[in-house]
Amino acid sequence: MRSDLRSVWFWLTLAALAVLGLFLLLPLFNVLAGSFGGNSGRSGWSLVRQDGKYLTAVVNTLVLGGVVTLLASLIGVPMAYFTARFDFSGKAIVAILPLITLVVPEVIAAQTWLMAFGNNGLVSRALAERGLELPSFYGWFGLITVMTFTYYTYVYIGTLAAIRGFDVQLEEAAQSLGTSPALSRWKVMVPVVLPSVLASALLVFTLVVGNFAVATILSNKVPLLSVLTYQATVSEVGSDPLLQSTLASISVAIVMVVLFLQRWVVGRGRREVVQGRGARAQRLAGWPGVLLGSVAAAVVVISLLPVVTIVVGAFTQARGPVMRWGTWTTANLERVFTRAPDPLFNTLTYAAIATAVGIAFSVAVSYLVVKKRNRLTPLLDYLTALPLALSGTVIGIGLVMSFNTGWLPLTGTGAIIVLAYVVRRLPFGTRNASSTLYNIPDSIEEASISLGVPPLASFFRVVLPLMVPAIVAAAVLTWTTTVAELSASIIVYSGGRETMPIQIFRLIDSGLMAQASAYGLLLVAVIVLPILLATRVFRIDLFASRA
Amino acid sequence: MSLSITRRTALVGVTGLGATIALPGRAQTGSVVIYTSNNAQAVEAVTEVGRKRLPGVKFSTITGGSGQLLRRLEAEAAKPQGDVFWSSSANTLGAFTALFEPYRSPELAAIPKALHHPNGLWSAANIHVAVAMVNRNQLGGAPLPKTWADLLDPRFKGKMIIADPANSSTALTILWGVEKMLGADGLKRLASNIKVTSAAATVLRSVGQGEFAIGLTFESNAYAYVAGGQKEISLVYPSDGTFSTAEYLALIKGAPAGELAKRACDHLLSKDVQTELLLAAYRRPARSDIDVAKLVELPALSSIKIFPVDEEEAAAKRADFLKRWQALAAASGN
Repeated sequence: MRSDLRSVWFWLTLAALAVLGLFLLLPLFNVLAGSFGGNSGRSGWSLVRQDGKYLTAVVNTLVLGGVVTLLASLIGVPMAYFTARFDFSGKAIVAILPLITLVVPEVIAAQTWLMAFGNNGLVSRALAERGLELPSFYGWFGLITVMTFTYYTYVYIGTLAAIRGFDVQLEEAAQSLGTSPALSRWKVMVPVVLPSVLASALLVFTLVVGNFAVATILSNKVPLLSVLTYQATVSEVGSDPLLQSTLASISVAIVMVVLFLQRWVVGRGRREVVQGRGARAQRLAGWPGVLLGSVAAAVVVISLLPVVTIVVGAFTQARGPVMRWGTWTTANLERVFTRAPDPLFNTLTYAAIATAVGIAFSVAVSYLVVKKRNRLTPLLDYLTALPLALSGTVIGIGLVMSFNTGWLPLTGTGAIIVLAYVVRRLPFGTRNASSTLYNIPDSIEEASISLGVPPLASFFRVVLPLMVPAIVAAAVLTWTTTVAELSASIIVYSGGRETMPIQIFRLIDSGLMAQASAYGLLLVAVIVLPILLATRVFRIDLFASRA
Repeated sequence: MSLSITRRTALVGVTGLGATIALPGRAQTGSVVIYTSNNAQAVEAVTEVGRKRLPGVKFSTITGGSGQLLRRLEAEAAKPQGDVFWSSSANTLGAFTALFEPYRSPELAAIPKALHHPNGLWSAANIHVAVAMVNRNQLGGAPLPKTWADLLDPRFKGKMIIADPANSSTALTILWGVEKMLGADGLKRLASNIKVTSAAATVLRSVGQGEFAIGLTFESNAYAYVAGGQKEISLVYPSDGTFSTAEYLALIKGAPAGELAKRACDHLLSKDVQTELLLAAYRRPARSDIDVAKLVELPALSSIKIFPVDEEEAAAKRADFLKRWQALAAASGN
């Protein structure tokens, strides 16, 4: 213990823990404690019990989660299987799917599906002219459709990685023992790949539960937990945050249960692939190949619908809330640049600062956790993973409750928005940096130290340069997800500090779809440009797509 | 190769930096934060005209329902973040008088005396008329409702939507008016027909997108859909009498922008801004020097049957009314 105290790394660990305690544990504690009653003596739990709609909302949320997870898996798993194992025409298009997941923010996905299928929408009007009435896109129809096509890519990516990492020699061994190819896949490949698939599916479930943008825009008549939580934050401004903390606590509880389930599923049984040779893709010729190619291409095209609608919508004339499809103008984009460029500047500024701060903190923390283990580092490791269990809304509520007044008032500043971004992305940054550090042998550092370079300098001059490619990849991915963040920032922002997703959300609320599309187009551009730069110019492998 | 920075270079650098920061400011520069319950079109009208009338002043807004914004102002009373509150009806503002600072703008000369506040605590900006916004495609073959009696008909059950009066002064005006005109029984029948949503903007969107057949709101918001060319939207002014209310803006006590906040109030009340608000956001001006019927296709105020309502009484009894309404709404499954 005494030697621990003398080590500078121990004090750094303590400092990191203090920072996390202040900005992560304190908000979470306030959220959980807030549900048990403030000055009025009432408890949030009694409020929730009184009104039946909250129970309905929880049930609806769980049902929605289940249905979307199922449908997303039904699309994602076969696509991943066929992409991994077969060559077919159109396969190149499918390879850009991971990109689409990142490039299209949820708020834009909801908006563009509405612009196509809403009552005023392009497709609805076209069909209505031919006499076909589509059911209302608001409610279950829209929720399930949009969420499935938003989240199936997560299942696709996870399953693809698992199948690619599966050693095909095991399958070949089964076949050489007399089992048919199909049965050998079923009995050998599926059990090995299943944990990853289930892990992705459970991830989709948690994303659906915490989803804010799509749920708020499309749910109208259907009570959902995330929507009611947000509405509670809006209506409880200035009074005790009872309802919002209770609903936030319920959401945290659901996600925690699911995450434990996921850990149990992945940890159950030890499956170590010692040496892996992925299967070679079979060429699928003739009509099966064409069929497969068309189905895959169709799915990808549907996923691209948001981007296409945004581009069309941004250049379409609109009078107030009514879109004049077919007439074109550049006025929407001009308006963004000349009259209201603030959201653009705010997004760029806050996301840049958050990415820089987040990556720096993640690298420091994972260095401590991986290389400088001491008594406290397991706690540090656990804390950095904690934000995974918290939806953006919960984080926003916690930050506002903790930093509204008192000794550290942050509301009204841009700092609280940056803080929300950093906290949300913390697990991703630390996971990424940790996995890179695991691959850097200790001996390199020790060699440097033994040659007389002090430990801290060794870190900066030996370890850090080795991490740079991975750090850059993580920075680009953090940037793309931070720029599109909505659910936390919409709770903590203040006048003049709207980011682009917040502005888009407000414009959709006012029914001004054309203006929302103009911002949406800019948002997509701001997301795509760094990715293009990194992959084309600097040749960084962002998605580990080469198996 | 080493870079040596002499003391002289550093001094020059710092001076240069300091000089750029201390550039002489123009008169009337600064930023004003407006807490507004009005839609994006209205805000844009204000900022657009502001470019010409008050160059150098940056307007930023916080949006929300009037009830929510006022509660937020209450929470911030120790350290106000907003400069101007725009706008709400007297029935909602009455409970929050402690938040505002009296200011008599020179623009009040153009506004009818009947709408002036005795102490100058708030100024009338626009006049609103309640309408039923109807999406004819969603009526299911039923004829267009013309009166309140039609609207209370149970065949519209589940097809009507209104905002929560605790958050929206629009909804409060309409519901208070219905209770005064048709009695507690009328209010009860309305509650059983209608769905309550937490945000006023949802009412417009829902009817516009065909999710609901009838939305109770103010004409300015609903007319945007008609003017935009959405043919199935009709505005119905109930012929047995509808409700009208003036909408006021107020200067927030302790506004951070100081004198600039007062200029912002003048700006919002000015003829240029009010004309633009009429053209872009269809809001009837309180000013008497703008001819509404000449500029837009809204009916003249004199041609609409208005049921008079005592706004002071509404303000005084707001809390009780909200309790009554909550009970009715909960009883009908809202």
